[in-house]
Amino acid sequence: MTIKGGYCQKILEMDLSNNKKRVIEVSDRFAVKYVGGRGWGARIIWENLEQIKDPLSPSNLVVIAPGPLSGLYLPASGKTSFSSISPATGLYADSNMGGMFAVEIKQAGYDAIIIRGRAEKFSYLFIDDDCVEVRNAHKYKGLGCTETERHLKEDLGDETLRIATIGSAGENLVRFSCINSEWSRNAGRTGMGAIFGSKNLKAIVIRGTKDLPVFDLTRLVELGEHAYKTLKSHRLFEFWQRQGLMTVVDYANAAGILPTRNFKDTCFDDADKINGEVMETFYKIGDTACYACPMTCGNVNLVKEGKYAGTVTEGPEYETACMFGSNVGINDFAAVLRANYLCDEYGVDTISTGNLIAAVIEAYEKGILTLDELGGMALHWGDSDSIMELIRKIGKREGIGNVIAEGSYGLIKKWPAIKQLISQVKGLEQSSYDVRSAITMALSYGTSDIGGHHARAWTIAKELEVGSDWTLDEKAEIVIYQQTVRPLFDMLGVCRLPWVELGFSESAYAEFYSAATGIETGLEELLKRSEAVYNITRAINIKLGATVKDDFPSWRCFNEPIKTGPLAGKKLEMEEYTKILQLYYNKRGWDENGVPMLKTLDRLELTDIKM
Amino acid sequence: MRKLTVIPERCSGCRLCELACAINAFGVNNPKKAKLRVFSLYPHPVIKKPIVCNQCRIPKCSENCPTGAIYIEDGIVKIDEKTCSSCQMCVTSCPFGAIFVHQEIAVPFKCELCGGYPKCVEVCPKKAILYTPEHILGQSMRLAGVLKYAHMKEVEYFEHGIVKKLRYADIEKGKTSGDNNDN
Repeated sequence: MTIKGGYCQKILEMDLSNNKKRVIEVSDRFAVKYVGGRGWGARIIWENLEQIKDPLSPSNLVVIAPGPLSGLYLPASGKTSFSSISPATGLYADSNMGGMFAVEIKQAGYDAIIIRGRAEKFSYLFIDDDCVEVRNAHKYKGLGCTETERHLKEDLGDETLRIATIGSAGENLVRFSCINSEWSRNAGRTGMGAIFGSKNLKAIVIRGTKDLPVFDLTRLVELGEHAYKTLKSHRLFEFWQRQGLMTVVDYANAAGILPTRNFKDTCFDDADKINGEVMETFYKIGDTACYACPMTCGNVNLVKEGKYAGTVTEGPEYETACMFGSNVGINDFAAVLRANYLCDEYGVDTISTGNLIAAVIEAYEKGILTLDELGGMALHWGDSDSIMELIRKIGKREGIGNVIAEGSYGLIKKWPAIKQLISQVKGLEQSSYDVRSAITMALSYGTSDIGGHHARAWTIAKELEVGSDWTLDEKAEIVIYQQTVRPLFDMLGVCRLPWVELGFSESAYAEFYSAATGIETGLEELLKRSEAVYNITRAINIKLGATVKDDFPSWRCFNEPIKTGPLAGKKLEMEEYTKILQLYYNKRGWDENGVPMLKTLDRLELTDIKM
Repeated sequence: MRKLTVIPERCSGCRLCELACAINAFGVNNPKKAKLRVFSLYPHPVIKKPIVCNQCRIPKCSENCPTGAIYIEDGIVKIDEKTCSSCQMCVTSCPFGAIFVHQEIAVPFKCELCGGYPKCVEVCPKKAILYTPEHILGQSMRLAGVLKYAHMKEVEYFEHGIVKKLRYADIEKGKTSGDNNDN
């Protein structure tokens, strides 16, 4: 088994503490076994686990990895994974972003970049092919993400540089701060921005000019052409270009799963004021796309009048529209855009920020928080002024913002009564689907390795549509299958949306992989490697102290039935959830405590992982 | 003669054109070797524009070439690799920046329209790059000019008791405000 393309087989390792650069040669065996992207990230984190003390100390590391398919001639091949230990959850973390950054890393000749240590001075990392320099970033301190990117491009005199940067939230170690690239592509979740901040690292600036190695370019181009044709001929393609993920608002509202006013309700009366139609009619001024992707999910929007006039932002997509729309009671799309802009600029995750602000509003409404504790600023559903002010306070860590900046666990530690109001799993704030009506989605969130995020498995639509007579067995299986397929995209360095939204076949990716690397590989084989990576991330979490109780969705799911809408009356039953969780462990080959069993690790060729 | 034209408002900045161009031209998966480049600016203004060669009839690149390596063949501006000294004068003298260099390629390179079937036009998912007959160029500007001149007006009238609308061009108004000269 010899790699003939797809991989550069080099990792750039930068220790910021002593300014030492090292280029690590990657063996064929390692490259293929862990595929790339999140797979490599997880494995490298595992190997360094013992040395990592606090996630925000210099002992932590972050692995920035595109995949073997990144940058190649196939739809949406521009994904970069960031893997580390999360300052929000204290457990395994990864988050990925689209855009062009992945391509540039690969063109510079690296499959991954590892950042260790902590720079003495506030710095940015400059990479131009083989030239790697740590440069002073003092000038950019406190600047927002898009501002930083603009200034860096101006100062370096090159508009075509690719930049990943943090905003003031990352500098201030906000535990859900993100890394921003291309102005509005974000590795949003799990607090990657704070890890950069803790390393005194403002940005990575990169330029690469090398050819990407491809084993059989003719075959890859043929497969790519076919893929583009398939996507373009899908009946929803043109509509998708126009509205992208914003179409989900109407779906989620009609289905009764749209989190509203801090996940209390599941339908929002004013959903038609924050949906894709409104965006397209009144705000949209252009499309953006990730690398080589025809889907143009990114919608550039401009607020033309009113108090937020002049706000330009790429986005929102569904998650943001929900978290800063229905979930905080905002029915003004201009305000949603403003919130999105502010989050991007300060560099905080829109999901976590919207989720936590909603929890704080409810806590104030219920009297858990007093006006004093809020710094004299009353909070109400839909009051966009105070919500914008809260985003600023979080980004700058002022007053109440300083407490919210500590994330779910920080808030709970300070005000234990707020625990019942926060929708989170493992300390990561839950993304925008109400799970009281869909146990598979609850299980997806519960067993997601990074915490309450839908990236690992998204089963809710299918369950609501056809899942009423599925057995618990089938339900556990579908979650496991999704948790195996979806992370595979993150390992390959491509986006999953062509598969999720336009029905593009997952088996095509095995062909892409074979054409690129010269190693004939079937989907089954790739899925097995993805399963292995899921076991590695599980092993990391177990080592870091995660237990069965961390695999449960939030309190509200079990205790407050849905009040209105098509799914009124639904809630999760603890007994049933416990049962499906044990079934899930069993099917995964984990023991009753959720620990991967020896025979499972054996089957997945992970014998060196000792639990 | 047909030429590449660009509608920047449609461009999503996905750079598929660059990648397809480089694969077609040099047989490598490397967008940095493309014969066109998408330029993105954000946020003021938000614009993405593929920079393509206009195949000028009086090419500045050719005028400034000290070795006479740039010539026109069938309306297409070409660089003769044998005569070229790679001084890159053409790169900086092109008013559009549509000639490119790469450290691994000896001489500058530019669009030669793929033998009449431009790859960028074929792959663009947003139809932002068009391959247009020369006489169509400027058509949209002409149309805009005509509409501006015409001052379209509406008049309501009754027909069998029903209100109807008629649109007409207020030519007279255009005349007085324009620079007409009846000599």
